[in-house]
Amino acid sequence: MSAALHDLQRWMHQALITPDAVDPAIANALLPGHRLIASECLAIYQRSYILRLRMCLGEQFPATRHALGAPLFAAFADEYLRACPPSSHSLYDLGERFPTWLTETRPDREAPEREDWIDFMVDLAHYERELFRLFDAPGFEDGPWPTTSSDDRTLVLQPCLRLASYQFPVARYYQDVRADRSPAPPTGAPCHLVILRRNYETVTYPVSALHFRFLSTLQQTQNIEAALADIAQWSRRPLNDVTASWTADVRAAWIEAGFFARAQ
Amino acid sequence: MPAANPAGDPALGLGVGLRNVHFEHILRNWPAVDWFEAISENFIDSGGRPRMVLRRIAERYPIVLHGVSLSIGSTDPLNVRYLRRLKRLADEIGARWVSDHLCWTGVLGLNSHDLLPLPLNEAVLEHVAARVRQVQDILERPLVLENPSTYVRFRASTWDEPAFLRALCEATNCRLLLDVNNVYVSCFNAGSDPLAYLDAFPFERVVQLHLAGHQHCGTHIVDTHDRAVSAQVWELFRIAWQRTSGASTLLEWDGNVPPFQTLHNEVLHARAVIGGASKDSLATVAAVDAEAINSAREAASTPIDFLLPAVMSQRTWSPA
Ligand SMILES: [Fe+2]
Repeated sequence: MSAALHDLQRWMHQALITPDAVDPAIANALLPGHRLIASECLAIYQRSYILRLRMCLGEQFPATRHALGAPLFAAFADEYLRACPPSSHSLYDLGERFPTWLTETRPDREAPEREDWIDFMVDLAHYERELFRLFDAPGFEDGPWPTTSSDDRTLVLQPCLRLASYQFPVARYYQDVRADRSPAPPTGAPCHLVILRRNYETVTYPVSALHFRFLSTLQQTQNIEAALADIAQWSRRPLNDVTASWTADVRAAWIEAGFFARAQ
Repeated sequence: MPAANPAGDPALGLGVGLRNVHFEHILRNWPAVDWFEAISENFIDSGGRPRMVLRRIAERYPIVLHGVSLSIGSTDPLNVRYLRRLKRLADEIGARWVSDHLCWTGVLGLNSHDLLPLPLNEAVLEHVAARVRQVQDILERPLVLENPSTYVRFRASTWDEPAFLRALCEATNCRLLLDVNNVYVSCFNAGSDPLAYLDAFPFERVVQLHLAGHQHCGTHIVDTHDRAVSAQVWELFRIAWQRTSGASTLLEWDGNVPPFQTLHNEVLHARAVIGGASKDSLATVAAVDAEAINSAREAASTPIDFLLPAVMSQRTWSPA
């Protein structure tokens, strides 16, 4: 490996990430262009670097960008990209660390009271990342899917499904942004969501706290009977009632919505 | 069109870059386009709709895979996992060939997502040639490398790009993708002559040509892939196409992507250019001042297709 090439690449890449602190060594390595001096030539790469990544991050978080407004989102994006420069070969991974980074660097992290709007941003960013990831994650399109007549013992949560809880109605807000309805920031209202992909379509289902607990237990145990027993104990209702409610109220709808895979 | 180019690969005709905004149109209308070029990175890790769509399109059209993250010139080790996945995808869709750029995209484990230029000299040739061999061993096929658009010149360069690529081909038996827009952009920015570039280019290694639009900023040109091909680039294409005896030709359009038919019509314009009367090449190509200088704000150079999932189809629904 060429040491000179390695140094040059280190300098040039650093000049892209921190354009305001360029190592003079890189300037010495460059010749002027036809009509631009060397630093102006380098500046074309520097401008493109941040423009491209900022735009790409914005497209991965359209609702967060809407909520923050484009200028503030750009400021967050620039900070994030400087703190976490991309390392993956895929631009799909660009926003992977963005929600966590937002959480860790939230401006009120030292303050005694957390600010609502920041909680909302963090929630929304997490939700958007989840959608984005699920869209292209390994899927379960080829099944096997159960039918309503499948035995409970064969029902397990399908692999392309996530359970997530938020303090704000992020799914509704996201939908409104996507439909160009320019929603105002919502007020806090805890929500429990099932996010899944079926037939290459990513769908979000809001569920009650009880249903969410049931599905979370099911995710751990992959056993309907055990999850029903847990709900009976937690809700202090007779197991028969809980089982009857499962059978009558949600079972068929959830099977049809693609919550379950049929265990082999 | 001829059945094969001098490198022995089949000539595919006039194709366009596969962009996600056109997925629906293609699946519904199966347009009469000769072939598609798919950006490798948009599909190699895909477990969702993009890969399914690509598989379906590959059943009907020849597909070529065009990468942007191989980083053949980086001093970081090659990403073997990436290469294995790339091979799996190429095999799965029967890719006619696999291309990437003569560039580096990052170092120290980071990726700039830009196609960064290399100084061209003996040491770099040795470095790149060794890596091309490694890539070809893993992919089990020749690698096709494209001349990038460049905006800087290095003091450490002792070779020009055509000579470097010629030597690289001789050392590794790799093939070339000649992007005539990149020739125009790089030559303008460096103050060199694009016709002299073509005169020195090893056309016998070329399997494919790229066409694209650029943004002329007066003092420099940015490779934006966001508009129609300029007259100067069409003229370079005419010359290059003749010298390759009709290499597979592809139009790249990544920003402000127009409706599919507009894109297709733009590449079909190549027919008129190929069949057209020979113009005064020097006058056309050198007519830089006559070209509209775009005073709009400089766009990002776009070597990458920002294929982002259409999560638009996401719904919220209450089942119970
Ligand atoms: Fe190209």
